[in-house]
This record gives sequence, structure tokens and C-alpha cells, in this order.
Amino acid sequence: MAATTTRFDIGAVLRRELAPRKRWQNFYGYLFLTPWLVGFLGLFLGPGLYSLYLSVTKYDVLSPPEFIGLANFVKMFTNDPQFWPSILRTLYFAGVGVPLGVVGSMFLAILLNNKIRALPAYRTLFFVPTLVPIVASVVLWKWLLNDDFGLVNQTLRGLGIMDPPGWFGDRRWAVPSLIMMGLWQGIGGTRMIIFLAGLQGIPEELYDAASIDGAGTWTKLWNVTLPMLTPTIFFNMILGIIGGLQTFTAAFVATEGGPGFATWFFSLHLYKQAFDYWNMGYAAALAWFFAVIIISLTVWQMKLSSRWVFYYGG
Amino acid sequence: MAATYDTHAPSTQLAPVKLQRPRRSNLGITVIYIALTVGGLIFVFPLFWTISSSLQTWQELRSFTVHFLPEVPQWGNYALVFDTVPFARWMANSFILVAITVPGTVITASLTAYAFARFDFFGKNVWFILMLGTLMIPTQVTMIPQYIFFFKLKLINTYVPLTIGAWLGGGAFMIFLLRQFIMSIPRDLDEAAVIDGASPFRILWSVILPLMKPALTTVAILQFMNEWNEFFGPFIYLSDWDLFPAAVGMRVFQNIPLETTNPRDHLLMAAAAIMTLPVILLFIVAQRYFIQGVVLSGLKI
Repeated sequence: MAATTTRFDIGAVLRRELAPRKRWQNFYGYLFLTPWLVGFLGLFLGPGLYSLYLSVTKYDVLSPPEFIGLANFVKMFTNDPQFWPSILRTLYFAGVGVPLGVVGSMFLAILLNNKIRALPAYRTLFFVPTLVPIVASVVLWKWLLNDDFGLVNQTLRGLGIMDPPGWFGDRRWAVPSLIMMGLWQGIGGTRMIIFLAGLQGIPEELYDAASIDGAGTWTKLWNVTLPMLTPTIFFNMILGIIGGLQTFTAAFVATEGGPGFATWFFSLHLYKQAFDYWNMGYAAALAWFFAVIIISLTVWQMKLSSRWVFYYGG
Repeated sequence: MAATYDTHAPSTQLAPVKLQRPRRSNLGITVIYIALTVGGLIFVFPLFWTISSSLQTWQELRSFTVHFLPEVPQWGNYALVFDTVPFARWMANSFILVAITVPGTVITASLTAYAFARFDFFGKNVWFILMLGTLMIPTQVTMIPQYIFFFKLKLINTYVPLTIGAWLGGGAFMIFLLRQFIMSIPRDLDEAAVIDGASPFRILWSVILPLMKPALTTVAILQFMNEWNEFFGPFIYLSDWDLFPAAVGMRVFQNIPLETTNPRDHLLMAAAAIMTLPVILLFIVAQRYFIQGVVLSGLKI
């Protein structure tokens, strides 16, 4: 919006006029900020600090918290058989599912960004799975992937694969089943719309210039579209990883962490500690450790971004 | 972005800005149509399967030949869902939660976004970074103390813990989306109103909010979908069956023992179809605004 300040001088004049009235800005700024600020302090910062305190205590809600130093963290690293496996499982789920989902959404958006008829109809076809509530989606996919009577296995048997995977009931296939369901739900959703917005922000001159240089469809895709989309890819990767690591509902409703511990993700581990065993202190320690992992991964991605994210014109 | 002014006549296009699309050969465009059609049908197929399965008998479903369509549509399956579990009550509860949280999010997220986009108050950048930072902190960090807090206040089995957040800002993502949108509205409009002696409330109400319609609709739809989907909160805060939203009820229905020991896949499919229907209807009604809202706010870091 830099252009507007140069076009309308009155804006700059007025802004100078308003500058000394800091108190006015402070008053209204904080007035409008109040609801969020109350929520931030009361539902976020306060509880966050309290859980930091709980992480060094033993607490079952009924008796008061008892300070035990770093014992929770020691237990986590040395004496919790599901701690490391649940982390690795979570990283596997997010590490495979999120990049596939982001790339899938991007390619779908590129396809939909062509001059095609009935665009809204196509967009709706791909968007509809996002609208299915996760719990309903789990019920549906458990049925589609039912070992004996599911459509997928019936089809596979029809094709001559007599021993198809047990999907949600199979240790090796439970996480891939969840990833598949997530891709179905996520590829055509809001993330794809965000990519469409990104595609429409690419100036046409760049394509024209590439055409003059004799670039074909693929060269333009590779040298214009993809570089120009990197900020959008980055945005979706950051939010995707944060969400993917916290995945809970699908795994909990589909398999409750099973079979064996095949879908026992970190968030399920934490939930069980907190609300099944009432180890609130230990669960708080797990939660903070989890927060540190997510923040580090996000900061790491931001650091790496300077190597591959391209901001056109600054 | 000039097109954002004209929200009185919302365009039916994806966005009122000029679309830039690479030109392609006839062969290329044919391949694209085929890919999109096949892909689209694959994406929609599971929904067709839900409806088809929901209209079959369990004997049809549990046979070793695939039935793409029911022999005789069993519309009674839908009635049976409502007879077997209090699904009507659960759907009504989901609507109640939506009715409480959607206005809360739209109102308080707009106020917060307005503060961040238009006022130069002390500590603004710090608060803004903290707000975005909340996106990185897993919900579990605050969930435990919040649970303890609401437990001590005897608010378990009420909707207070589930809805209060929506009335206190509505979440960083929504605020960020609206703030980006407000930033794209030229300040000259506000300043013209200032000259006319309008108060910040009046500017918000008469200048900013009317221009924000697509973004507000987007936030309302996203909040509707989030709330309809929400499982974890209701699951830990509610134990009274009469208070369950459909998402939690669905899991109960999946697991509870029933009077009959017959398979219940057809009923679960009917329940899944019932609980998906409102979201699809909402999307059909509002999709034009929704997509505009995402596109125009230009979500990017």
C-alpha cells in the first residue's frame, strides 16, 4: 500500500497531524485489544506459566502439587518406554504427510489455475472432503479400509492381491492409513485456496518475458511459478508441520493409539498421562518438551527459508 | 487491490482481480481436464460411498460382493440412527456451540485485528509477535492448567470452557487473516472519516466492516467448521451425554454396546452423512465469499 501515500499527500499530512496524539492511539489501541489481551493473559500466558510450574511437580489434581525438581524430565528421557517411540511416530506422520499434502495442494492449485470451464464445480469437488468432520471421516475411512468387507480390499482381492493390508488394524499400515485419510481431507482444502491466491499474485509480465525468451510450459513452471510460490509453500509448511505434530483426533477416534502402539502419537501419550492416569505434573512436563520441539522446528524452518524462499521485489 | 472497495456487487469470479493464467496448447488443456475430472471423482467418491452404504442393509454391506448401490434404499436407517442414540440432541448441541462461538470469533477477532492494523499503541509489535507465537505453542501446554482451573470453578460439564476462547480474540489465525485484510484497505478511507469527525468505533463500523464482508464470512465459515469438527475440548470437558456435540457423540456411537449385536456400519455411515450435511450446505451458500476472503487477504508470512 506504499503507493497510496505517494498519491494522496493529504494522507501523509494527516498522519503527521495524528502523530503527536500518542495517547489517543494508545487508548484506542488497547481498548480494541482488550478482549484478546484478557484471553492471552488468562487462557494462554497464565496457564502456560502454571504448567511450567506443574512440570516440576507431582500433581494428581486432588492433592496439592508436590515439588519434585527435574524428576519428570528424567523420567521422560530414561524411564518412559513410549516417550521416544511416540516422538518418532509423530515425526514420521508429520514428516511424510505434511510435505505430501503441501505439494499435492500446490499441484492441484496449478492445475486449477488454468483457463478452464466450470472452475467453481471442479474446485468444489476437491474442496468437499475438507468439509467432512474428522470424526465422520474416520468412520468412513475405517469402513472403506475394512479388512474383510471394505471397498479397497475387495477391489485389491478382485485384482488378484489375495493378502491385502489390514490398514487401520495392521501395525505397519495404521500410520499410512491415517496419512492417506489426511491427504484426502487436506489436499483440496483451504491450503489449496491459499495456493490459488499465491498463483494469482504472480505478475503476468514474468510469464510474458519468459515466453519471449522462448520458455515452454515446463520451463515457466519451474523458473517462474515455483520460485514465485515459495513464500506460499513456506507459509503452508510452517502451519502444516505445527498442526501435523499435534495430530490427535483422527488417531484417537480411529485406533486409540493402536494396534499395538502403532498410532500412539505424542499427543495421545500426553492425553493418556493427563486424563487417564491423572499425572498432571508429568503431562505438563511432556507438554513443555513438546512445545520446545515445535518451536525449534519452526525456528529451524525459518532459518532455512532464506536459502529457498524467494520474495519478488523485496 | 483496488477491487476490494467494491463489495456491494460481489463478483462470481474467484477474485475480482484480473486472473493471470498461463496459456496452454489444446492438447495440454485436454490433459488438464482429464486429470481434474478423474481426480475430482476420486475425491468425491468416498462421499458417494458413505451415502450408498448408509442406505444398504448390514447384510448387503457385509457380503463378499461389492454393492455400489443398495438393492432397496433403506431410508429407515436414518430414522434408526435417531432412535438408537440421541443424535438429534447431539446435532442440536453442535449448533448451540456454533451459535455461541461464531459471533464471538467474528466480533472479538475483528476488534483485535483492527487494533493491530490501525493503531500505533505502545508495545504493539511485541503483542503482535506474541500473538503469532501462540500458533507455535501446542494446545496441550495450556490445556492442563485450563482444565484444572475450570475443574476448580466447577465448570466441567458446561459450555463455558469450550466457548470462552472464541469471545476472547478467537485465535491467532483468525486475527491474522482479518488483520491482513484490514491492512489492504487504504488508510485514506479512515482518514477521510477522521476529517468528518468520526470516532474509531464509527470508522470500524461504517468504513472497515462493510469492506471486510468477504473476510468476515471466511472467518465465520472457518469457525463454524472448526467448532463442528472440535473433538478434544468437548471430549475432556463433558461427560454428560445430553451435552455432547455430534463429533463426540459419533465416537460414542462407534463404541457403545447396543441392544442388538448386529454390525452397525450402515448406521454409522448414516450418522456420518447426517453430521456432514450442515457443513456442506453452509459451504454451498457461502463459498463465493469464502474463497474471495482467503484470496484477498493474501495470506503469506
